[in-house]
Amino acid sequence: MNGFVKYLAERLFQLFLVIFLGVSLAFVITTLSPVDPVQVSLSQMTSFGAVDPRSVELMREALEELYGLQGTMLEQYFNFWRRVLTGDFGPSLSAFPTPVMTLIAAAVPWTLGLLGLSLAMTWILGNLLGALAGYFRNNTLLKLSGAAVMALHPVPAYITGLILLLLFGYAWPILPISGGAQMNLQQGFTLEYITSLIRHGLLPAMAMVLVGIGSWFISMRSLVSNIVTDDHVVYAELGGVKSRKIFSQYVARNALLPQVTGLALNLGHIFGGTVIIEFLFNYPGMGRLLIQGIYRGDYSLVLGVTTISIVAVAFAAFVLDLVYPLIDPRVRLG
Amino acid sequence: MRVRRLIAAAMGVVALAMPAAAQDFIAGIPREEALIVQGPEKQNADWFNMWASGGGASHNGQQQLTADTFWFINPEGSGDSAWTNALATERPIYNDDFTQMTVKLREGVYWSDGVEFTAEDVVYTVETQMENPGMGWSAPFQVNVESVEATDDYTVVFNLKQPNSRFHTLFTVRWNAAWIMPKHVFEEVEDPASFAFNPPVSLSAYVLNNYDPNGQWTIWELRDDWERTSIGMTLDEEPDVKYVVYRTAGNPDARVIEQLNHNLDVINDIAPEGMFTIARDAADTTTQWLPGFPFAHPDPTLPAVILNTKIDELSDPRVRWALALMIDIRSVSMGSYRGAANISALAVPPTGAAIPDYFEPMQAWLEDFELDTGSRTIKPYDSTIAEQVATLVRPQWGDSLPEDEDALKRQFGFGWWKNDPEAAGELLESAGFTKQNNQWMTPDGEPFEINLLVEGDNIPTLARAGGIIAQNWSMQGIDAEVQVAGPVFGDRLDVGDFDAAIFWTIETWGGHPDLSFFLESYHSDFIRPIGESQPPRNLQRWENPELDEIIEANRTVGFDDPEVVELGMDFLKLAVEEMPMIPLMAYNKFAPFDTTYWTGYPSIDNPYSASGPFWSNLRYMIVQLDSTEQAD
Repeated sequence: MNGFVKYLAERLFQLFLVIFLGVSLAFVITTLSPVDPVQVSLSQMTSFGAVDPRSVELMREALEELYGLQGTMLEQYFNFWRRVLTGDFGPSLSAFPTPVMTLIAAAVPWTLGLLGLSLAMTWILGNLLGALAGYFRNNTLLKLSGAAVMALHPVPAYITGLILLLLFGYAWPILPISGGAQMNLQQGFTLEYITSLIRHGLLPAMAMVLVGIGSWFISMRSLVSNIVTDDHVVYAELGGVKSRKIFSQYVARNALLPQVTGLALNLGHIFGGTVIIEFLFNYPGMGRLLIQGIYRGDYSLVLGVTTISIVAVAFAAFVLDLVYPLIDPRVRLG
Repeated sequence: MRVRRLIAAAMGVVALAMPAAAQDFIAGIPREEALIVQGPEKQNADWFNMWASGGGASHNGQQQLTADTFWFINPEGSGDSAWTNALATERPIYNDDFTQMTVKLREGVYWSDGVEFTAEDVVYTVETQMENPGMGWSAPFQVNVESVEATDDYTVVFNLKQPNSRFHTLFTVRWNAAWIMPKHVFEEVEDPASFAFNPPVSLSAYVLNNYDPNGQWTIWELRDDWERTSIGMTLDEEPDVKYVVYRTAGNPDARVIEQLNHNLDVINDIAPEGMFTIARDAADTTTQWLPGFPFAHPDPTLPAVILNTKIDELSDPRVRWALALMIDIRSVSMGSYRGAANISALAVPPTGAAIPDYFEPMQAWLEDFELDTGSRTIKPYDSTIAEQVATLVRPQWGDSLPEDEDALKRQFGFGWWKNDPEAAGELLESAGFTKQNNQWMTPDGEPFEINLLVEGDNIPTLARAGGIIAQNWSMQGIDAEVQVAGPVFGDRLDVGDFDAAIFWTIETWGGHPDLSFFLESYHSDFIRPIGESQPPRNLQRWENPELDEIIEANRTVGFDDPEVVELGMDFLKLAVEEMPMIPLMAYNKFAPFDTTYWTGYPSIDNPYSASGPFWSNLRYMIVQLDSTEQAD
């Protein structure tokens, strides 16, 4: 028990350290951004209409006051942490005066759904196929799937996404290529809405799965290939243990440990991939929100999205760390 | 057994992935009654207060379909036909010294909640925004308006702080203008600047039907009492378009696909290659501004090489002229738009009223214009550029190009400057530059370097133009480098952190020859030093006493005075002589329309309205479209 408590304490410390450093870094980078949100708003207000140049300076002063951009960087930093701890990132500057948290709350379910589904599919399929390919090394079908998966692995997600978009949106137009659900459809737990969600999520999810599956496949196959030559597996085979049991209990379970760790380490990277996919398929999640925020110089929004992402990824990794002892008793027992 | 399971699973996937036709594209709305228009993503989806900072759904149909103000100018038109009295019954009435403007309002116009629109709404709009700094039109009202009063329900009098013959342009729509607020709604709220105005009350023919909380679509519906609006009063019969759906349609490739699948009737803009794909693959179900190549619609916006005239090397007109003569405009046209550009030597976009008012009358002056290179005098204008570009693209698009020379000029441009490196070299030498080993050196003995700023992928055609121009300059011995600024492009232009940039500092009414739309901000009173924020438009910080005189003279003549055109020509001649920016072309927009469900879109042959989805003038197109009733 002591071992687990120590393990838990270490992970908690890591969790808070990662959040503190990540969020602080995001604040510094975002605040140092040369994009001036007042200038962006001003450009939007003056770009197209007949503008009286005498009024521009007046507009600028009013916007600076409205956006509350006064104060030193240190003051802004402390204010920022105070807001983070109360879950309030202030108003979005590009969607003024809508609170950043309102925008994020609307986008989070989409990203969670897309990321969760594609991540689960990627991890389970990649590891399952990799483990089978590593254990049944002479199986032709598995060899072929391995070749296909590895061929897709180095292709950037946006290329795979674009190909899927052209394939299923244009050449054989059977799937929606834009948005999260059918327009004007009442949201709710109805068959129609859920079907619409799945149809709209299929292409972006497929783009992420096709690209992501390769790394899990390769590492799992390699791990299993090593484990099958371990003494305990050889003894089990010699002892007449059924191959299905050897595969699941002796090989796959041992090989899974580093894959769980890998999942925790890769969460941030995978979120980065979601940003591009959401942008490509016009998916209404956090990724699109982040890109809009960057382009419009809306650092309240960028900070909100990055902070929430950092906290979410760090917590997910923390939860995976807690699950780890269930798979590996050595951790549980200290 | 396994095979059967696999088949069952595959059938499940196919069932989910059934063609879009199996399901209404928009739930609950017949496709044949809906016009689907490309809109941008709207982050603050629940916010419809167009008058507060943040703008509400201005791009997503609200300003196009529900807002109204006194006057509209059709950017595609010319002469009297381009002017529309909307909420006003006649043009603005100024007193002699332009310190007072009276507006006569239309009777019988109603807000969508049944309340009549009156002069009190106008007074409230102006006074409320003056009292709330930060609201959209607060600053221009504060600067201009001494007082505003409703002398009766249908007459408003503005008393101005100083003479301003263009005050009415604050209420004149080209893209947008100061929209009238519903007094009866806003006077009930404590803070008009933080009121969401959801659902919005409409003053025009359409009203909000539904919207996506994630901001990806907004649906507007024809009002039952559409006749009780300023646009409705101009119509003989009910518009065919019952619903207008503004939707984000993804990246430019996705937009092309969506239109090919008939899920997007009106596109705002795509890359030239996308337009060519649509023209090739869907010629029977699409139309666009021009019937054939170059297809594009020229916006009244003038992309140019903006030269930072406050930098020593670029402060000399001879150097700026040298840079112009080093450019091969044919390569710029081919490299940026694949030949589908409408080039312009004059500092005004070649569209709308500018063609009869400026381009046609000034051709003789351009032909005769002489430039002293320091060694000799040359005539740099080449009026055959349109034919030259047409020759380059004819092998690919031959059949769709007009043979008529005038038509070619309307589509490819009237002419441009000759590519004359020799004259450019003479100009540089006369300005004190020297050439060492094919590298031009400044009078200070330093290599002549130019950083050419482009925004990047956001406007790919202009980024490509920047690449070609930098290449043109490099080939002539200037150390030119393209810098892609991305999101900081606007900030860098604003404070003058560039040598040269590809952007526009000239936009016009399109449908009216008055150049005050941009010219007023060119006065030297508004020029700020490098490092400080420059008010929009004169980003080249061009300062010239003659320019000030033209601007000051323009202020004293009425908007429709014939002298406006003369002053406009004076400006254009000065801009040629001084070359503060090198005009390139109109901002050609590739905006194809799907004709599967709707016909009657505006075109060069029938330019009755603006066609850009974000332009408020789009309302005049929407109510004129005819349903094909082809839907199942």
